[in-house]
Amino acid sequence: MAASKCNVTRLTEALSRQLLDSVDSVLFDCDGVIWRGDQAIPGASEVINSLKKNGKRVFFVTNNSTKTRQMYADKLGKLGFDASADEVFGTAYCSAVYLKNVCKLDGKVYLIGSNAMRQELEDVGIRPVGVGPDPISGGQKDWANVPLDNEVRAVLVGFDEHFSYMKLNRALQYLCNPDCQFVGTNTDTRLPLEGGKAVPGTGCLLKAVETAAQRQAQVVGKPSSFMFECVASQFGLDPERCLMVGDRLDTDIMLGSNCGLKTLLTLTGVSTVAEAEANQKSECPQRQKMVPDYYIESIADILPALQA
Amino acid sequence: MAGAAARGTGCVTLRGAQIRDLLDAKHNVLFDCDGVIWNGETAVTGAPEVVSLLKQRGKRVFFVTNNCTRPRENYVQKFSRLGFTDVAEEEIFSSAYCSAAYLRDVARLQGKVYVIGCGGVMKELRDAGVPVAEEEDAEPGASIYNCPLDPDVKAVLVGYDENFTFMKLAKACCYLRSPECLFLATDPDPWHPLRGGRVTPGSGSLTAALETASSRKATVIGKPSRFMFECISSQFGLDPARSLMIGDRLETDVLFGSNCGLTTVLTLTGVSTLEEALAYRDGQEPQQKDCVPDYVMESVADFLQALEE
Repeated sequence: MAASKCNVTRLTEALSRQLLDSVDSVLFDCDGVIWRGDQAIPGASEVINSLKKNGKRVFFVTNNSTKTRQMYADKLGKLGFDASADEVFGTAYCSAVYLKNVCKLDGKVYLIGSNAMRQELEDVGIRPVGVGPDPISGGQKDWANVPLDNEVRAVLVGFDEHFSYMKLNRALQYLCNPDCQFVGTNTDTRLPLEGGKAVPGTGCLLKAVETAAQRQAQVVGKPSSFMFECVASQFGLDPERCLMVGDRLDTDIMLGSNCGLKTLLTLTGVSTVAEAEANQKSECPQRQKMVPDYYIESIADILPALQA
Repeated sequence: MAGAAARGTGCVTLRGAQIRDLLDAKHNVLFDCDGVIWNGETAVTGAPEVVSLLKQRGKRVFFVTNNCTRPRENYVQKFSRLGFTDVAEEEIFSSAYCSAAYLRDVARLQGKVYVIGCGGVMKELRDAGVPVAEEEDAEPGASIYNCPLDPDVKAVLVGYDENFTFMKLAKACCYLRSPECLFLATDPDPWHPLRGGRVTPGSGSLTAALETASSRKATVIGKPSRFMFECISSQFGLDPARSLMIGDRLETDVLFGSNCGLTTVLTLTGVSTLEEALAYRDGQEPQQKDCVPDYVMESVADFLQALEE
């Protein structure tokens, strides 16, 4: 659909109605789409709730690994969204599913990540080791000889504010064994926070581990299609009847393209229309995948079409 | 001599008279340290004698190491401890020393440098008179979400740091938001070998994290970048055509030698193997050719045959 346009198409009210009629499920990214930090985007909760009243299924698909599904459900509830935990697909949950079902992990995982990630792993029956602060002690000889847990069969890297040289070192020691699996939650370079701030994202930590180990991680988060497959396999979704709504061309829209979904870019977050148009004009097939079918200023602008 | 691989040659095993001829043609000999003249706290057998004899034969000897963990005076002590006599501080060029020299002489830094690094780097910066931003340890109220910044910081230097934390990454990233803030890395080594075949994360892995966070590329001081050679040359006036680089790591030492127009020798007492060198030589990628050493020897001790005559 995207390739035949000269400009990226703005989603008008008429086109909104048409688009909504053509899909049964809508997948929303969170940061920059339905909320910014602790603040809901004005009108976002009305849109989500209205979609559900109109018989659409709604899912939340986020690369953020710092919360469990339940924690997201709590946040959604507090901000006025009608949502339940099983509609949320964050990378803490999806990484646990990935390790269990795709890696077929039988053993422990060395985890560089949050308590939320630890929780999601334990909930699928995987035992993580390593969460929490891990300061350096001893000398270089000691680091190379850190006692390794011989039940560890994988290293998983997610957002970790306690990231340290010692954790990087432990991960490296495990990854020296080529049979040890290597998974990352996502490659986003920034983690958005409350109040519009941002800190270095998981992508930075993952890059450090990949560089030291000279190995590439298997990445679970968008734009990897696993995130969609996770939702689709649990809810029986038909990609052609799904709409992906996001604010990032390189994660959300790319995921949509990879999985054959319809895509809508909202301008309340990271990417711009100019970037989308530049991608469209480029000859590069990868960039062509980062062109949304439609764009909209904010998802609140869908409301008139829903209420008509 | 340099760029031998462009002719499809390289990786020539040095023997007998060839070694003597090579040494006759060269006035300056640059040695990497780890894996070449020592491994950990043990000198490579014959290495102290080789260095001594080279100097007796009138050669100038320099030590060029990416290891940024010690200041030069510590290196002098290590040389002495391991049986190398008469190695002077001026002959030792570490990435820590050269990073400080770069900030002082090339960048002519007006302001402070925020350092992710260890004691060795801090000492070299202090000795060079480059002001370092103080690290406040437990600022009340400071967290990764709200860290105090020093307005005088005009450069960020990242190197091996066993005390690396997310906080340091976040702070450095904040400083690098200003395009005028310089971004330097001591060296690109992703990992370092330790005894018993183990490894430890290197400066390169920390630099990669910061490059990803800031969407900026660091200026790398250490090998294979040319700067360390230029640093030596500015003090001693080296003619590349009469200089020999001896190292154990293809992607670091040999590439450095190629980049600077030096003849390169790979010794097999460290990281890289003959198989890896041959793979670079016989491979398809043009940029791999610069990692092909002109010559290969088992160990620097092989020079003894030529030097003891």
